[in-house]
Amino acid sequence: MEDFQEQEYEFLRRLDEERFGRSTLLKRGLATAAGLTIISLPEVALAARAKALADPPIRGTRQNLKAIVAAARKEGRLNVIALPPDWANYGEIISTFTKKYGIPITSDNPNGSSAEENQAVVSLKGDPRAPDVVDVSPTFAVAGTASGLYARYYVRNYASVPRSMKDTRGLWTGDYYGSVTIGYNANVVKTPPKSFADLLKPIYKNQVAMNGSPLTSGSAQAGVFAAALANGGSLSNVGPGVDWFAKARAAGNYIPVETTPQTVASGQTPISIDWDYNNFAYVKEFPSANWKVVIPSDGQYGAHYCQAVSATAPHPWAARLWQEFLFSDQGQILYLKGFAHPARFTDLVARKAIPKSVTSALPAAWLNSKGAKFASLGQQAKAKVVINTEWPAKLGKS
Amino acid sequence: MRLRKPQIAPSAVVWLVLGAVYFLVPLIATLLFSLKDPQTGKCCSLSAYGFILHDPEFWSTIKVSFRLALETIVVGLLLFVPTIYWVHLKLPRLRPVVGFLALVPFVVPPIILVVGLLEFYKDTLDAPFWFLGKPDLFLVGAYVILAFPYIYFSLDAGFRAIDVHTLTEASRNLGASWPTTLGRVILPNIRAAALSGAFLTLAIVMGEFTIASLSAFHTFPTYLQYINESQAYPAAAATLLSFGITWLAMLSILLVGRRGGQRTVRVGIGR
Amino acid sequence: MVPFFAYAAMFLILPAATVMIGAFQSADGGYTLDNITGIVKTENIRDAYWESIRISLTTALLGGLFGLMIAYAAIRKGTPNWVRSAYGTFSGVAANFGGIPLAFAFIATLGTIGIVTQLIQNVFGINIYQHGFAIWSRRGVELVYLYFQIPLMFLVIAPAIDGLRAEWSEASANLGASRWQYWRHIGMPVLFPSILGAVILLFGNSFAAYATAYSLTSGTALPLVPILIGNDLSGNVFSNPHEGHALAFGMFVVLAAMMLFYIPLQRRASRWAK
Repeated sequence: MEDFQEQEYEFLRRLDEERFGRSTLLKRGLATAAGLTIISLPEVALAARAKALADPPIRGTRQNLKAIVAAARKEGRLNVIALPPDWANYGEIISTFTKKYGIPITSDNPNGSSAEENQAVVSLKGDPRAPDVVDVSPTFAVAGTASGLYARYYVRNYASVPRSMKDTRGLWTGDYYGSVTIGYNANVVKTPPKSFADLLKPIYKNQVAMNGSPLTSGSAQAGVFAAALANGGSLSNVGPGVDWFAKARAAGNYIPVETTPQTVASGQTPISIDWDYNNFAYVKEFPSANWKVVIPSDGQYGAHYCQAVSATAPHPWAARLWQEFLFSDQGQILYLKGFAHPARFTDLVARKAIPKSVTSALPAAWLNSKGAKFASLGQQAKAKVVINTEWPAKLGKS
Repeated sequence: MRLRKPQIAPSAVVWLVLGAVYFLVPLIATLLFSLKDPQTGKCCSLSAYGFILHDPEFWSTIKVSFRLALETIVVGLLLFVPTIYWVHLKLPRLRPVVGFLALVPFVVPPIILVVGLLEFYKDTLDAPFWFLGKPDLFLVGAYVILAFPYIYFSLDAGFRAIDVHTLTEASRNLGASWPTTLGRVILPNIRAAALSGAFLTLAIVMGEFTIASLSAFHTFPTYLQYINESQAYPAAAATLLSFGITWLAMLSILLVGRRGGQRTVRVGIGR
Repeated sequence: MVPFFAYAAMFLILPAATVMIGAFQSADGGYTLDNITGIVKTENIRDAYWESIRISLTTALLGGLFGLMIAYAAIRKGTPNWVRSAYGTFSGVAANFGGIPLAFAFIATLGTIGIVTQLIQNVFGINIYQHGFAIWSRRGVELVYLYFQIPLMFLVIAPAIDGLRAEWSEASANLGASRWQYWRHIGMPVLFPSILGAVILLFGNSFAAYATAYSLTSGTALPLVPILIGNDLSGNVFSNPHEGHALAFGMFVVLAAMMLFYIPLQRRASRWAK
């Protein structure tokens, strides 16, 4: 029975690619039925089955979705990596996926970095525990494609993802984006800061922190971009951003302590410059910290993350089903619930696809904010070089 | 003069108290933080501990890590005790070589060791999955190397402190075979050193994160790291719980070691 | 001996060699010295090596000294046995305590709103942060590193202290020697090789420490070699494995230099051992 199914999938896939008309379909159908009987001989069938399982589709469509679901169920598992449950609501996304399709997910190294994700694809190649999909920053998406780590796959809703957020060859697709915000502990910080300029005031001494260093943390790098925009720089010139942090450090406002849940809850880092989805998550997670979030008025910077399917995924069909789920309306709205703007946000809004229950729970100013600037890959590469040389030089001496 | 029970020296008390203060204060700070109520941020609530103790991941990963630790200790001692014994006895020239090797695991930071291990076993050797996929084989292999410097320096100091040549000669002259000599004469004398090495190995395995994480295994340290990066008060609770559990484990190793044998053969100078 | 060397080869030497060779590889697969010359030329990287060496030396020497004192205090005659067991087992755990938990424990103690910081403020009226102290400065990092250096010293030197037979100190006292003379002529020479070995161990341990330093300083306040390696190999922003390998090779060179320093000293010292 199974062998027949494999052939069917193969058939449907080719069908979809070649877009046959109905009559041709019928004719071919009869021919295929005859053929199927012949090639159901065990050896041939096994070989063909292996081939079919090794050739998951390149394009997701309404027709082959059911096939993908069935094949994914048969694979029986999905391996994901570096997806913290409280980052962009991945916790709920993972549990919803498992409940909906009955496919258990192994979530590895939740706090891993993008570099570690790509590294895992390489190091664990051929291992059944290797990651099937990755969610990496654009720099690493580019590095991964250059190393041939990803497989081509166009999700069904590929067309409604903005041009600037996807790879035309289908090797990666932007899934959500965030913008830099200032989060603060309202118990400790009596005067809410509203901008980067504000943060240089003496009342915020020893209070401003980031989520790591811009040499290694994407969020901190974004903080430098935002500071650059606020301080007379631009997306192509982040030097003023580094200068701003140097000034903040010299004034004693910026403390090089990494923001962690403990430092937020304890009040050790009363102000944190971080992605919106992280800062908003703290609001609910730490009621004792009375956390509030502000979009800086003078420097608004955004960046997206990229979904990719591993070329050597141990569960290739489940990997594609995951992509379909993430980019479906349901998946994208789950991102929104986690305070991350989904990539297809504009499309969802235009089609009025977001339920009121979701939008009413979100801060309106943030929801509709459009001012964030996004850096191109070239600008990011240039910024990295600048940060790599200037940050240690200007802030490294204590 | 010999009737009076020896008193603790005052200078010893000073050092011991200073040490205790330095080590306990940060733990107390962590404790105070772990007892805070998540809603109000003030004392006192055990909810952080409840969170951890009710988490099945906590229990399953502790079991895994303990198992790995015991395996590492056994393999490590089996491998290193005879080796260091032999070096002390017959091949003193090799001492610097072995000593140098003992420093290499320090120089190679775990992140590079694991990349090297994975590259070497996967690409160069194409090792099968029953090796790579099992923490008991791959991770223990790596952990024995990590524990090697500690075990080496403990055992080395221990061997240095006893008179290896005399003991061996005496035992061999009395007709004992090599294994008997090693097991029943030498081993009891370096027991303190071996136990010391065992403690350190236990602590290392219960604290090693990088290799386990990058090889996609789920051990206790990876669980702790995860809690630390995603939770506030439970993280402090988890820290103290792991500290306490590891300490208890060590005390039990110590008691087992003590009970194991009261006889110590002492061949000293001037008796 | 064979099983030992075979094991070392399989799990240590060959994988490490793989990485060391990587230090000389370039992006296109050929061999080059560029990675090495690159890191020597970069001022920030030279600073990081210097800083790492400095902190490692300080914590190795201080950790060695304090560890020795505490170990001796716990083991010597007169101190109850339970003290040694308690301190010994605690050291076992503390020697491996690091990373975020250790960093946070100290931030909770001596951070800007730490309990000791506030205590000093309330009792003495001094705000240490206004006087230049910061837990993320070099002094702060050294203070935190001692938390695992001192226990490590304790564990490694304890068996050696055991070897100081009570008879020797009794005999020397009977012969009229003072404590100072005992230490100078009997105690220290016997202990010295072990102390030296232990200090080298502490140096290496401190040099390679990563997670604690990153958590304390956010990878920013102090340039340190392991943090640079981490940036190159596992960050979210850069990916420069060749530089990372070269940095690791540099670490190897520093430690090999220490070993070269250690071997002749050790040979001299062990003349006293028997």
